[in-house]
Amino acid sequence: MRCDHCAQEAPDGVFCTRCGAHQGTTKESGDAKSREHRYAAHPGEHVAHPAIFTTLFPHLGHHKIHEFRWAFIAGLAGVLVLYLAGLITAAILVSAFLVPVLYLIYLYEAQVYRDEPALVLGFTIGGGVVVGIVVTLFERLIYNPFQYAPNPLTGASVGIGAVLILGLVIPLIQEALKPIPAFFLPNRADFPETVDGLVFGVAAGLGFSLAETLIGFSTTLTSLPPHVAPGNWIYDLATLAVFQPILQGSATGMIVATIWRFRRGRLGGRELGGVAAALLAHIAFSAGTVVMKDAATNPLFILIWQATVDGALLIYIRYLLHYSLLEEAAHMGFAETVCPNCHMHILASGFCPNCGMALSAVPGAVRRSRKPRAELVTPTSKAEK
Amino acid sequence: MGPPPDLPPPTYQSPYYAPGAGGYQAPVHRTPWVLIVSAVVGLIVIMAGCGTAYAFLNARNQTSAGVLPSPSPAGTPSPIQTASPPAGSSTASTSAETVTLPPGWAATNSDPTITVTNPTGDGSVVISSGVDNPTQTAQQIKDEITKQLTAKFPDTRTCSGTTTTNGSIGGVSGIWFQLCFTVTSGGQSFPGEFSLWAGANSSGSIGYGVILFTLASRMSAFMNEAKPLVASIQWKLK
Repeated sequence: MRCDHCAQEAPDGVFCTRCGAHQGTTKESGDAKSREHRYAAHPGEHVAHPAIFTTLFPHLGHHKIHEFRWAFIAGLAGVLVLYLAGLITAAILVSAFLVPVLYLIYLYEAQVYRDEPALVLGFTIGGGVVVGIVVTLFERLIYNPFQYAPNPLTGASVGIGAVLILGLVIPLIQEALKPIPAFFLPNRADFPETVDGLVFGVAAGLGFSLAETLIGFSTTLTSLPPHVAPGNWIYDLATLAVFQPILQGSATGMIVATIWRFRRGRLGGRELGGVAAALLAHIAFSAGTVVMKDAATNPLFILIWQATVDGALLIYIRYLLHYSLLEEAAHMGFAETVCPNCHMHILASGFCPNCGMALSAVPGAVRRSRKPRAELVTPTSKAEK
Repeated sequence: MGPPPDLPPPTYQSPYYAPGAGGYQAPVHRTPWVLIVSAVVGLIVIMAGCGTAYAFLNARNQTSAGVLPSPSPAGTPSPIQTASPPAGSSTASTSAETVTLPPGWAATNSDPTITVTNPTGDGSVVISSGVDNPTQTAQQIKDEITKQLTAKFPDTRTCSGTTTTNGSIGGVSGIWFQLCFTVTSGGQSFPGEFSLWAGANSSGSIGYGVILFTLASRMSAFMNEAKPLVASIQWKLK
C-alpha cells in the first residue's frame, strides 16, 4: 500500500511500517500522523495517560507489563502487611528496594544493556547509588529539622528556611548530579536512541532514590524497636515505596533523554521543556510536601499532591519519548521480526503494521533476531519502472 | 470509473510472514512471570526477616540514650540554684515563669510559654505553667503532654531502658520521663527524644511543664548543657 501520510510503499496494515502513521482513520480520531491516541511505545494507550509502567518500562509489551504490575502490587501488599504487623524497619527496607529491584529485572528482561551488563548497570544503578550516598550525607550535614521546629507543641507554622533548603536548594543539587553517571557511560555510542537514554536515566535515578532512603532513614532503622505502633507510618511508606522513586527516576530519565536528544542534534523546545519540567516537578514535589507537613495538612492530601506531580511528569516523558520514537524508528530498514506487543510475525521497518508499536523500543533479543529483507517490490512500483 | 488502463490492479501485500519450518525463533520474553513475582516475594521475606532481626539486635545492644539519672538535673535544692549566673547571661520572663539564659542561648516568649534554643540551634527547652481547671496531678499532666506529643508524632513511645523518676524544679515536685519519636522531613528521618518534667502544686490548681527536645543521640550532652538553665527556673504561679 502507499501510506496516506508519507506516501511511501509499505506492507498493508493498520499502521504504516515506515512512518508509524495510523492508516484509514477519520479526523475525529485525531491526527493520524502524530497518532497521539496511540503511544508509540505502547499503542494501547493515549500519550497523555499517566501510567507508571508503560512510561518507565518502555521495552515491555502488552503481556509482560501486566506481570510487572502484579509484582509491584504484591510488593505494596507486602509493605502493607509489614506495616499492620508493626514491623516498620522491615517495611522501610522493602519500600526502599521494591521499585529498584523491579527495574533491575526489567533491564534483564529488555536487555537494554545488550552485551555489556556489568558496565551499563555499574554506571547507571551503581553510579546512582554512589551519587545518592554522597549527596544525602551532604544534605544531612546542612539540614537539621530541629532548627526549624524548636517547640514541638506549637500549632502549624511553615518554616521558610526549611522550605528553601528542602524545597529548592536540595532538588536543584540533586537534579544537577543525578544524571552524571549515565552521562559518563563509556560506551554510550552503542546506545544512540532516546529510549536508551531514558532507561539509563531512570536506572540512575532509582539507584539514587535507594541510597537516599537508606542513608536518610539510617538512624531510624538502627533506633526503631522491632515492633512499633503503626501510627501514621503508612503515609511515609507510601512515599518511600511509590512516589519518591517515581519522581527521582522520572526526573533523571527526562534529563538524560534530553541529553541523548542533544547528542542526536535534536534539541528543540520539547526537549528544553523536559529539563524545565523535571526541575519544576522536583521542586514542586519537595516544597509542596514540606509546606503541607509544616502546615499540619492531612497526610492523605500530601500523597495526592505527590501523585499529581508524578503523574504530570510521566505525561511529559511520554510526549518526549513518543515523538522521539516516531522520528528515530522511521529510519530502520525492512526485516522479518516479531512484535513484542502483539506477538505477530511481521515484515516491518520501524513500526509494527498491526499494532503500531515502535520497533526501536523492543527487547534486545527481538532486536538481534531481526532478519533484514530487501526493500519491498510491489506490482505498482514494477509497473512504474 | 476504474483505474488507469496502463496500471495493474492493486494487490494486497501482507505485513505478516510465516516463519520457516524448523527455523529458530528467538523468544520474545526471557523472564518468566514466576521469576518476577518470586523476586518481589523474596525481597519481602528477606527484609522482613533481616530487618526484624536487625531491630532486635539493636534493641538489645542499645543503652538507654539520654536517660536522666535519678535525681533530676535540677533536683531538690542544690548549690547550683544559689550560684550567681555566669557573665553574659540574660533573663527571659513571662507572666508564669522567669528563667536565666546562659550565654548564647536565645528565648522566644509566647505567654505563658518560653521556648529557649541552645547556641547550636539543635536543641530546645520549652517551659510553661498555668492554671488547671479542673485540678490535675503531676501524673495527669504527664499523661496529657504524652497524648499531645503522640498526636503530633504518632510513633511516640517511652524510650527503652528509661523509667519515670521524681524530681523538682523551682521548688515544685514533679515527674521526669523520656519519650522517643521519629521526625520525617525532606526524605530523611531523625530519631528524636523528649526529656520531660510534669509538676503540679499541692492543690493541683497550677500545672507546670518543662520539655527538653533534641536528637536522641544528643540528649545526654544536651541535658548537661541545659542544667544551668533548668536550675534557674523560677515559677511565678504557686
